[in-house]
Amino acid sequence: MSALDDRRRRFTQYKEDVKKRGKPFYPYAMFHDTVMSLVVVCVIFLLAVVWRYGWFGDALGPLNGPKADPGTTSFVPRPDWYFYFLFYLLRIFKWPESVILATVGIPTILLIILLALPFVDLRTERRLGRRPVAVVAAVLVVISMGVLTYKGATAKEAIAAEVKAAVPSWAKKEGFAGNKEALAGANLFAVSACTNCHTYLGTGSSNLGAPDLSAEGAKGKGIQFQISHLKCPSCVNSGSPMPAFADLGQDNLKKLATFLEASKGGK
Amino acid sequence: MARKKSDRRRQLERAAMYPLDWLEERSGLVGGVRYFLFRKVPGDTNWFHTLGSATLTAFLVQLVTGVILAMYYKPDPKSAHASIDHITHEVTLGWLVRGMHKWGASVFIILMFMHMGRVFLFGAYKYPRELNWIIGVLLLATGLFEGLTGYLLPFDQTAYWATVVAININGTAPFVGPFLASLLRGGAEIGPDTLARFYSLHMLLIPGALLGLITLHLYLVIRLGVTSPPWSSEAAGSGRPPEPPPAQAGLVRPRPRAAVKGRPTE
Repeated sequence: MSALDDRRRRFTQYKEDVKKRGKPFYPYAMFHDTVMSLVVVCVIFLLAVVWRYGWFGDALGPLNGPKADPGTTSFVPRPDWYFYFLFYLLRIFKWPESVILATVGIPTILLIILLALPFVDLRTERRLGRRPVAVVAAVLVVISMGVLTYKGATAKEAIAAEVKAAVPSWAKKEGFAGNKEALAGANLFAVSACTNCHTYLGTGSSNLGAPDLSAEGAKGKGIQFQISHLKCPSCVNSGSPMPAFADLGQDNLKKLATFLEASKGGK
Repeated sequence: MARKKSDRRRQLERAAMYPLDWLEERSGLVGGVRYFLFRKVPGDTNWFHTLGSATLTAFLVQLVTGVILAMYYKPDPKSAHASIDHITHEVTLGWLVRGMHKWGASVFIILMFMHMGRVFLFGAYKYPRELNWIIGVLLLATGLFEGLTGYLLPFDQTAYWATVVAININGTAPFVGPFLASLLRGGAEIGPDTLARFYSLHMLLIPGALLGLITLHLYLVIRLGVTSPPWSSEAAGSGRPPEPPPAQAGLVRPRPRAAVKGRPTE
């Protein structure tokens, strides 16, 4: 008997068994379903109440955040909690060349695995004790999604003061300690929330696929390019999601550009 | 006297049943509902089997609250944020409707994952239910996309910048990425069109897709039947249960249904 015939036979058997020994959906199963549905509605209702009145120390967050401002220079790009696991993957794949793995590669692979599952697992066995691979896979998925969600939830955005404390060590490593203009630029860089998206000598977090800037100066783009890029990133690099920093003013932009050009990768 | 009463009762019953009979004759819907309600399910379905209908309930909560929110929400960058404030603080019970929509989304997504976990652990994706598993995976992806598009609508800082990230992530996909990103943005930059696009996707296209997929999903559940738990004697796949031992004199053997709590005895 072929494997498919065997599966067909089992399903016919199941249908006969259910017909003979099963119970009607109404009222037995429907009773369970109704109770559970009521529980779901109550939970949603309670969540809304807890959120509205800010119980448990505002555990569910504020009623409404500040209005969206595309011109802002400091922001926290944070998705809804159920995307935290993907969001945190972005931090693991910090290097620009590998960001695509986290953003597109892994989710696509996960989706393909899920879609292919019933065609890969062709055994009829359903008891967990005899499906060790399935059990291990399930445990691993739950643990890794749990850990990534937790890490994503507790990930802190770089705090300006902390980043600023790293400036002297940057100056030393990159060798611009004597360059006053570059030092001022580094301080600006630290407090302007650049490190919310960019990394610099291991400080900051990689978001939006923003590149690491430790060796930006080694590309030899020149101070003028850096200034015009800061003023309007998408004018220079079409499609760039980086916000415009024109309102920092020409002096500040020049300092930032000098700092970037002085960053040759460190030693 | 008694005969007269039963005559009257029969007449009454006929009058009460008339609309149903009328409907049944023309649509067959009554028979369909009757089949749905009184179809047999395995005797040992349990609380784990309620996760699917619980997910459906969460979806219905989203549908109802979403329709109400759409009556007050203004999908344009200048007034979106203010209209959310208005709903939360001024509209009667607006906070409740918005709160239930906001948190119902999370509950919906958690329940989708739990339902999927249950189906995986019960091995319920196996023959002949492969197609329903695939529809379920599509529902999960579509549901997550619904969450993603809804997240922008309050138009606060977090929402805006999270959407910048999300669109940019779409943009990094090979080949279709840049096209997808500009389709979502409605242009080269995030602007007024972006919000309108997300609003339209969030309340027309994706809910429509979800409704269609849910209908297919339920149709297949009803057609193929509910999978019994893997430990069940009625499990399709665990093989034929061993023949029961001959009854011993003087002992009443428990009926199978009474035995489902422990290990099946037959």
